[in-house]
Amino acid sequence: MEDKRISLAHGNGGRFMRELIEDVFARQLAASELDVQADAVVIELGDGEVMITTDGFTVQPLEFPGGDIGSLAVHGTTNDLAVSGARPMYLTLNAFIEEGFETERLERIVGSLAEAALESGVRISAGDTKVVRRGEGGGIYLATTGVGVRLPGVKPSMSLIEDGDVMIVSGPVGDHGTAVMLAREEFGLRGDLISDAGPVMQLTEPLLALDGLRFMRDPTRGGIASIGHEIVKATGLGVRFEATIPVREPVQSVCEMLGYDPYYLACEGRVVAVVAADQVDAALDIWRDIPSGREAARIGRITAAEERVILETPLGGERFLEELEDDPLPRIC
Amino acid sequence: MASSAPGPAGSPAAIRITLVGHVQGVGFRPFVYRLANEHGIRGSVQNRVGEVEVVAVADPAVLDAFQAELIERAPPLSRPRISGVEPIVELTEETVATGFEIISSSAGADAQVFVPPDYFMCDDCRRELDDAADRRYQYPFINCTQCGPRYTLIESLPYDRPNTSMSGFPLCAECEKEYLEPTDRRFHAEPVACERCGPRLCFEADGQGSVDDNHAALDAAVVALRDGQVVAVKGIGGYHLVCDARRAEVVDKLRQRKHRPDKPLAVMFPVEGDDALAAANRYVRFRDSEAQLAASPMRPIALAAGKPGSGLAPNIAPGLGEIGVFLPYSPLHKLLLEKFGGPLVATSGNISGEPVLTDNGEAAARLGNIADAHLHHDRPIVRPADDPVFRHIDGAMRPLRLGRGCAPVEMSLAWPQERPVLAVGGHMKGTVALSWDRRVVVSPHIGEMDSPRSLAVFEQVAADLQTLYGVRAERIVCDAHPGYTTHKWALRQPGVAIEKVWHHEAHASALAAEIDATGPWLVFTWDGVGLGEDQTLWGGEALSGSAGDWQRVASMRTFRLPGGERAGREPWRSAAALHWECDLRWPDCPDTDGLAHAAWRRQMNAPETSAVGRLFDAAAALICEVPVTSFEAQGPMMLENLCRDAGDVIELPLLVGGDGVLRSDWQPLLEVIADKKRSKRDRAEAFHTSIAMALLRQAETVRERQVVERVGLCGGVFQNRVLAEQATALLRSEGFEVWLPTELPCNDAALSFGQAAEIAARGN
Repeated sequence: MEDKRISLAHGNGGRFMRELIEDVFARQLAASELDVQADAVVIELGDGEVMITTDGFTVQPLEFPGGDIGSLAVHGTTNDLAVSGARPMYLTLNAFIEEGFETERLERIVGSLAEAALESGVRISAGDTKVVRRGEGGGIYLATTGVGVRLPGVKPSMSLIEDGDVMIVSGPVGDHGTAVMLAREEFGLRGDLISDAGPVMQLTEPLLALDGLRFMRDPTRGGIASIGHEIVKATGLGVRFEATIPVREPVQSVCEMLGYDPYYLACEGRVVAVVAADQVDAALDIWRDIPSGREAARIGRITAAEERVILETPLGGERFLEELEDDPLPRIC
Repeated sequence: MASSAPGPAGSPAAIRITLVGHVQGVGFRPFVYRLANEHGIRGSVQNRVGEVEVVAVADPAVLDAFQAELIERAPPLSRPRISGVEPIVELTEETVATGFEIISSSAGADAQVFVPPDYFMCDDCRRELDDAADRRYQYPFINCTQCGPRYTLIESLPYDRPNTSMSGFPLCAECEKEYLEPTDRRFHAEPVACERCGPRLCFEADGQGSVDDNHAALDAAVVALRDGQVVAVKGIGGYHLVCDARRAEVVDKLRQRKHRPDKPLAVMFPVEGDDALAAANRYVRFRDSEAQLAASPMRPIALAAGKPGSGLAPNIAPGLGEIGVFLPYSPLHKLLLEKFGGPLVATSGNISGEPVLTDNGEAAARLGNIADAHLHHDRPIVRPADDPVFRHIDGAMRPLRLGRGCAPVEMSLAWPQERPVLAVGGHMKGTVALSWDRRVVVSPHIGEMDSPRSLAVFEQVAADLQTLYGVRAERIVCDAHPGYTTHKWALRQPGVAIEKVWHHEAHASALAAEIDATGPWLVFTWDGVGLGEDQTLWGGEALSGSAGDWQRVASMRTFRLPGGERAGREPWRSAAALHWECDLRWPDCPDTDGLAHAAWRRQMNAPETSAVGRLFDAAAALICEVPVTSFEAQGPMMLENLCRDAGDVIELPLLVGGDGVLRSDWQPLLEVIADKKRSKRDRAEAFHTSIAMALLRQAETVRERQVVERVGLCGGVFQNRVLAEQATALLRSEGFEVWLPTELPCNDAALSFGQAAEIAARGN
């Protein structure tokens, strides 16, 4: 395309728009066999229950160490299917692009999206593009809907969680949240802080074979602490996080400096699973054999004793992990 | 006093006397019995819920003398008040009885209940403890109507043995005889016990069996302590971690295991000499007030100046001049210290910030990594009571923490509560208060409220106070901060009206209600942080008015704290904040790569505050060079310890903001405290004196605009004696009447009482 920036004309249904879709989207998503001409397409799912989910993406900055909004739009949605026990197969894509957005940047983002889709084994089967006026969007927003098929094995659900179950995580927490925060505030990038954004299918699928698997979730917004609160609300049981939650040193040090708690920060490529106590070792063994699960660890347990989220500290203390609040005011000093 | 009803000429009169106040659990009925017999009075005495009823038949003149002596000669722990005297016209069986009898307790309703605190052993019990011929010779749980545990063993009222944690110890024949004999000093001493039927010690150490015999267990504990071990000892209100206070390597072991690198440790000294303090006197230099309180039946921890070179391990209170000193507060501790023969560290057996542990199994599990051995006993502790702490400030011993020996604290209000109130306090140094009519009962120290055990104890105490006093709260008052555990707890309670009180208004009302309800007051509420009406973090506020009607009239120039809550343990953040606020560079700032500064500039997790506590932190970071501390107020305590005299006065400009609030600007002082060319002591003294002077200037300026007679100082900052005494002296020299609290701590422990007082005042 001759113009280096997206204009309103790219959304008017005419030539500019056709060129944009063909040059930027269709070309990069070629592996997806995207039919840009059709109003609707047929998808083939095979046997099994069909599962569907949808998500919107507004991350700032659009590009950050370890990923961008494009890869996030794939992982965010496909990972939701994966932790629900499904194999993701198709995605639809909506892009809301702000007038004036650099075309080159758009190409990078769509390229990254295509790569993530390939890595995750999903096809982009339908899509739409809109251009919004300058100042009405944060550069680009994406929305994806994912369709998948439930795999044989356990149907993970919060309703399966029992007193005495154990929580595990597939790797260190807080990397994505910290990396994005530092990138957003332009604090100067640190080479050691990279988002964990990535696919989790290779982690979730083998766990479905464990009959002691109860529940899986990816700790995105609100981090693992918020998963704790969701479990408490849904089950009436309590969650005790133990002093073994893996946090990488650079994440820990940034959090300490800024006064944040890594347990509330998002991950985009981790899985928290609740499993029966007698199958914890089996689950951890499965994960530790997978590159993205090498640092998997036990992080807590389910207890009927108190309907709260509690963190056990390394010094033998215990404190409440309260529900995430927007900009909490200090209580102590 | 009401006079006795005149009987027919020459015949005896009959009256019914009702006594209220501290009349239960303090040997009051045996006293009445003995007094009545002394005067040849017929009739009866009976415990009702919270009150004592006496029926007396005698000549009117004898009855008058009897009434007077009921008060004048009352037992030392009792505080009786005659609430009513009525003539009995119809003679019934009880009034014509030939003798005087003690009738068993009645579970009536609606009366003035008082729950007594736990007291140290009385002189009579001490004599028996030391008397080889006595059957309770060296029995670690000896007690009587005048001493022993109360608050920590009462399960419900009326105060009778089946309603205490002694219910599981059936009395032996000899104890039962004493218990039932009205003339005996153990008549209805509910925790009465002896070697044969009472609680027993049990010593347990890893790899050894348990030692069950009382004397052998005590000896085994002493051997372990001499061997340099840490022993968890179960006392009256909870466990202590105990070790030799003279061996630095032993103290260091305790510190490392408890993850308590710097916080001062209390030291218990053997009872020695006529005033019991001879041993302690070799290690500390007491003021009279400190010595007197330390030896009182409350047996609190009194802060007193350590003697250099006394032989105490230097790591007892690193960087501080004062030692927390106490004397054995139970016969068990007296025996332990006597046998050990030297000072012992005795610090709360808890996990940092949590209430002291009370249950044998829980203590064994949770203190197992800290203690080498346990000295348990089998009397259950119904609810914890940590050791109270007092410090001499401005002419009086003032509490820093309330607990065993003084709690529950009884306070009264000038205004009655419309409806019974449960006041749930703050987030740090939690206490809970129950208030009805004109009464407020304040719990002992519970702990920092963000742990499950603190909340569990808080819930238990809140429920127990209501049960014990027979009062059901119809309203709950909490701090306005939505993040406090107690605030969230209040919101979860179904069917109860919730009222919110601003943090510093509660502080001011606590002081005003303790001293004098009538205003107008000018109260300086200086502390760490609390949420203010404008959603910023207050802590340097002067409030004018009276309980129920406060206005902010003065404060400090605000600044933003990088990293929010973390500033509490990291004084460097406050020092950095002051520099950044003034666009100054701080060469020693630990934020070496500028990350914290960048976040601060973008207002990420950088809340605005006016807290004087943070100014003290900043000064400590700059002067004492403690960027990071391990316990609350460590920096300010070290800073205070540098001071010897009043320092240079740096006048802080007093500006009036758009909101009409006076604000002292600390910027000129920053230049002085950051000036490394001046000595540490010089800078610390200038800081204290300048802040005290800023307080005076604010008071004077307020007085130019409105009537100011009484000035109050409260909030945790005034635990600093140097600041408090300089401020009071300056204010008095300018004609102000100045008050600090004496009944309750000036820190957040008083918030529950202040909330109750504030709500009562609003309703009136």
